[in-house]
Amino acid sequence: MNMLKRLIGCTFFLLLLSVPALAGSDEAPLWLRDAAAQNAPAYDRQVRAVVLRREQNVTVSEDGHIVTTTLYAVRLLTREGREYARAIVPYLTETGKVRELNAWLIRPGGAVKHYGSDNVTDAISDPNDVYNELRVKVISAASDADAGMVFGYQSVTEERSVFGYDDWNFQDRLPTLAARYTVNLPSGWSAQSVTFNHSKVEPAVSGTSYSWELDNLPPIAEEPASPEVTNLAPRLAVSYVPAQGANTPLKTFSNWVDVSRWLSELHDPQAASNDALIAKARELTANSHTELERIQAIGRYVQHLQYISIDIGVGRGGGLRPHAATEVFAKSYGDCKDKANLMRAMLKAVGITAYTMAIYLGDPTYVREEWASPSQFNHCIVAIKVGDETQAATVVQHPKLGRLLIFDATDDATPVGDLPQEEQNSLALLIAGDQGALLRMPVTPPESNRLERQAEMTLNGDGSMSASVHERFAGQSAVSARREFRALSRPQYNQRIEEWITHGVQGARLSRIEPTDQINENRFALDVDFNSLAYAQLMQNRLLIFKPAIVSRHDSLVLTEASRRQPVVLGPYALTETVRVHLPANFDVDELPDPLKLDAPFGSYAASYEVKGDQLVFTRTMTLRAATIPPEQYATVRGFFERILATEQAPVVLARR
Amino acid sequence: MFLPRFLPTLFLTLVCLLVLSTPLALADDNDWKPVDPAELSSTTPVVEPNADAEAIFWEVRMDDSQTEDLIFKHYIRIKVFTERGREAQSKVDIPFGKISHYKIRIEDIAARTIRPDGTIIELKKSDIFERTIVKANGVKIKAKSFAMPGVEPGSIIEYRWREVRENQSANNVRLEFQRDIPVRSVKYYLKPFANGETMRVQTFHGNSPELVKERNGFYSVTMTNMKPVHEEPNMPPEDQVKTWMLLYYTPIPTSNPAIYWGLVSKAFDEIIKPLMKADDRVKQTAATAIGDATTPEQKLQRLYEYVRANVKNTSDDASGLTAEDRLKLKSNKSPSDTIKRGQGTGQDIDLLFGALAKAAGFDVRVALAPDRNQIFFSPEFSNLYFVEPSSVAVKVGDVWRFFNPGYNLLPFGMLRWQEEGEETLLVGESGALWVKTPMSPPELSRVTRKAKLRLLEDGTLEGDVRMEYTGHLAIEKKEENDEDSPQQREDTLREMIKSHMSTAELSNIQIENVTDPAKPFVYAFHIRVPGYAQKTGRRLFLQPAFFQHGFGALFQTSDRTYPVYFHFPWSEDDNVEIELPGGYALDHAEAPAPMSAGNVSAYNVKIQVADEHTILYHRTFFFGGGESILFPTTTYSAIKQVFDAVHTSDEHTLALRQGATASN
Repeated sequence: MNMLKRLIGCTFFLLLLSVPALAGSDEAPLWLRDAAAQNAPAYDRQVRAVVLRREQNVTVSEDGHIVTTTLYAVRLLTREGREYARAIVPYLTETGKVRELNAWLIRPGGAVKHYGSDNVTDAISDPNDVYNELRVKVISAASDADAGMVFGYQSVTEERSVFGYDDWNFQDRLPTLAARYTVNLPSGWSAQSVTFNHSKVEPAVSGTSYSWELDNLPPIAEEPASPEVTNLAPRLAVSYVPAQGANTPLKTFSNWVDVSRWLSELHDPQAASNDALIAKARELTANSHTELERIQAIGRYVQHLQYISIDIGVGRGGGLRPHAATEVFAKSYGDCKDKANLMRAMLKAVGITAYTMAIYLGDPTYVREEWASPSQFNHCIVAIKVGDETQAATVVQHPKLGRLLIFDATDDATPVGDLPQEEQNSLALLIAGDQGALLRMPVTPPESNRLERQAEMTLNGDGSMSASVHERFAGQSAVSARREFRALSRPQYNQRIEEWITHGVQGARLSRIEPTDQINENRFALDVDFNSLAYAQLMQNRLLIFKPAIVSRHDSLVLTEASRRQPVVLGPYALTETVRVHLPANFDVDELPDPLKLDAPFGSYAASYEVKGDQLVFTRTMTLRAATIPPEQYATVRGFFERILATEQAPVVLARR
Repeated sequence: MFLPRFLPTLFLTLVCLLVLSTPLALADDNDWKPVDPAELSSTTPVVEPNADAEAIFWEVRMDDSQTEDLIFKHYIRIKVFTERGREAQSKVDIPFGKISHYKIRIEDIAARTIRPDGTIIELKKSDIFERTIVKANGVKIKAKSFAMPGVEPGSIIEYRWREVRENQSANNVRLEFQRDIPVRSVKYYLKPFANGETMRVQTFHGNSPELVKERNGFYSVTMTNMKPVHEEPNMPPEDQVKTWMLLYYTPIPTSNPAIYWGLVSKAFDEIIKPLMKADDRVKQTAATAIGDATTPEQKLQRLYEYVRANVKNTSDDASGLTAEDRLKLKSNKSPSDTIKRGQGTGQDIDLLFGALAKAAGFDVRVALAPDRNQIFFSPEFSNLYFVEPSSVAVKVGDVWRFFNPGYNLLPFGMLRWQEEGEETLLVGESGALWVKTPMSPPELSRVTRKAKLRLLEDGTLEGDVRMEYTGHLAIEKKEENDEDSPQQREDTLREMIKSHMSTAELSNIQIENVTDPAKPFVYAFHIRVPGYAQKTGRRLFLQPAFFQHGFGALFQTSDRTYPVYFHFPWSEDDNVEIELPGGYALDHAEAPAPMSAGNVSAYNVKIQVADEHTILYHRTFFFGGGESILFPTTTYSAIKQVFDAVHTSDEHTLALRQGATASN
């Protein structure tokens, strides 16, 4: 696959080289000239471009024919802004086409360069899929563009759809002077809208034409640990409401049960099984004694099938329909909905009822209850009806169906009983016909995702040392460790551990790296032995200084900017560490760093030092709760992490007796 | 000089990538080879322990006997050992398509999975998807993609296909012998075109296997137990460490390199002559440019400065020319054209410099050189594949000097590091002349850093910093920055500093001489680093090596597969002045011991106290003396030891004590 990516990269490079010279006299359309004449406010120097006009005009026909015209103009504020001089228009090969795509580059002096069909590159949208109907047409003016120029494009796309709704972003991260979305509906139809990440935007209505507009949107800066841009940029969702008695293939939804019913129609027939599938399910669970064990046995099997995505018939809802469970079973591969659907079929074969669930992977706040639409989801998991004897942290209560065990059949690093961190606390749709509902996904507490670390170090009077580090991961902490372990070959993993140790211990030589994955218990263990000839520094042959925090925490947040615009998003984290240092003979502790104890609404930290005979015991504990901290409390959260960093760098001073 | 290799070469590279990514090989018929039950039941790799998957065999049959097309038949069989191996090997993409008049077709794909229990799952034709990856301007890259069915650890997967390269020959085809997974056996069958030219193969970095005569006009070559290439820091270029073979045709005898290169030299000379012609305009220009200069060195420097100052370099990234602008430019046919137009490509500028030098009476040759970033070349290999025009050689006394004014960032007298220390062919009518280009000594590529800082009682360090880069270090910095906006250059600096001092805050940033070829590249800024020094009880602990703070050791792993390679020799000179907080004094003033590794490297630190409250830290370091930039794997431990020792010394910490008396 890497080769394919390289090939594609090379090809784009070739295309750039082969862009023919174009006539410079082509005139830009009036809308673009007007947009280019606008003055924009002054922005921070980091802002690379400003969108002058972002507009989408959608005309919907009763027969499902949809024509979309896009107008886009951007002024490049810096040389790096060249990357925005690019038109990217997606389309589906089976049900859609790009009817027109033109772009223009306007130089500060007014000279215009036109880019037409000769400059269009047509490419796949996702090189990772074996097949996907979604493609893009691209015009890039990046190699011609520079600061001060205005790039604009106009596209017209056509599609035949079954979806009677649309969603649209008023901006991406760039500041945007004017953003407008217009939908023109058939006579007698109406539109309903929901605005996300912004106060409600009311449309201007003229007959059956609806128009939503926002002006002067500020830039959205990229900051570490900030919310996803999908949770910051204003977004619009529009549902088309057909006229009474209209004969249209366009599907709209008035509530989540509607969505559930429609998706159930797509999913349920695909869950049919055959003898081979049933036999396999029974074979897998032959030695299982409990409901949970049966679920675990089938869950492990399905998770280990190859992930392969083949999307066909997307414009007709094919992207939401799983392949038949029997087909997925026979080929031993599939995507998330295929796996969820297969698991459902296999569970049914052993007498357990399960449902598929639609969820959004990547931003737990993305799915909003106020807009009932299948387009809010990009992933599929399983909800398994369980009895009271099955106890797990990922069981949720459904008002009618009772206890449902939530499980991701695609993530093979997260076993039954846990849920990937990225999915916790998000809203997901249970696809269960009339019983379907939007459910809040469970959240596991930091303590169940903890890392416990024990270290023993023997320090010698010449500064050399030998040490052992024992790490015990649980829950999502174990999932992270497991993912790292699985993603690398064993030599690469050993190298990664060696780099981690030598980052804290200069010249460390590792004699043992022993990872142990206990996926059934969702635990992971790592034991490392090493030594170093020069860990502590001997001063004047009298003082010996060393840092008791031998190895770094696996993840450390560094917030260094003086100010902050976006909230700080923290994930749950729990670390407990004890380091026992056997002190060298003839040395006493001369000075110890000050202990530290911090308590904040989002977490706590404690570090302490204690001398017990010839041992120094250093302990640190850290607990972070999942939290979104508003920017006005930035100084508090920054100070919290700065004080931890300073403490963990502080050395211990030993003095020769 | 200069120009990147042109489009067809790039396409060939793509083709090579294709060949590498998709196992080549071939079965002479359309049947699958029998599967050894032992292979099916095996659970451990043969070639490399811990491998996730291993190719049992990889066969390619290349047939160049037809006039029109070059045909490859590929066949690979892979044993999957782990889940990771299943994931990596289950999906197959076979690219093909059309770029300009180069076109590749893929035919007759067949694939199957043999599960550990012996059941066989054939890939259905309907499960092979043809995708257009990208299409535009006569370029159409497609792929046939499929997922192997029913793969699990323990499975064997195998697939084969036919690849037709339309209207192409096998000349300069690269035969790869290593993949991303280990391979037990790689076998190529080669059937050359019988047109009177002789097919030759050259093996790089492996034992040259015997070319065995097979049936039907084929020759075969086999290698076994081929491990994949694993990346390591500071390793030689990939073509220098992996095993591969170049297949080529030549009518010229290659067994005697002197004869081969002599013929090449003469042929090139015929091409170059008109491009470096010293006509009256050139002669007059040379005389004007040289003016009152008297020594050869002065004369050449004047000519160098003349072409730099009077000819706009249209190849320069910072020229302000867009892709469209460049396409509109007329090409210069001669040095006289270049003078007349006052602009030209980097190549035009080099040729003009050569013509001017010739007009001034110097013996001038165009130099063909390999790229040290690609491979370490030996003239014993009689093939033009690796060399191309790179600079102009001028004889001064008995010494050949090399110049490349067309590369706008090079100071007078230096070459790009990629062409330094390389055997270079000087083109001339008298035949081949090989001269080794000199390598710049460490002192020519130097970073000189100065910091005047003040330490606060809470451990914050604050003050002014200046960093000056010369030689290759300056070129690297200029290349990194010259296309960027001033804001982006500042951001690059901030990222660079924060990568090893995460709490650093920078202000008053000045970045100088980004596009000036002669002056050093300079960073100057004010810095504030909260938490730089650590406090424990009555002491503050301070690392005086401010510029090395936060860096890890260069070599972190104890094992090494490949030689250690540095691009060029370099040196460092640091002066750090730190004013101590009131009431604190140095507890001790020990400095790390000096170190040296013969003429290859030396490290020295001096620490002094001035006025009882200011630490003066001076550090010097150089590496690569005696042109030592390549170290065999057997010396890794020693090299690591040197850099570990430098790192330890750089981490040397000073203790400051409240109320103590300063010591020198």
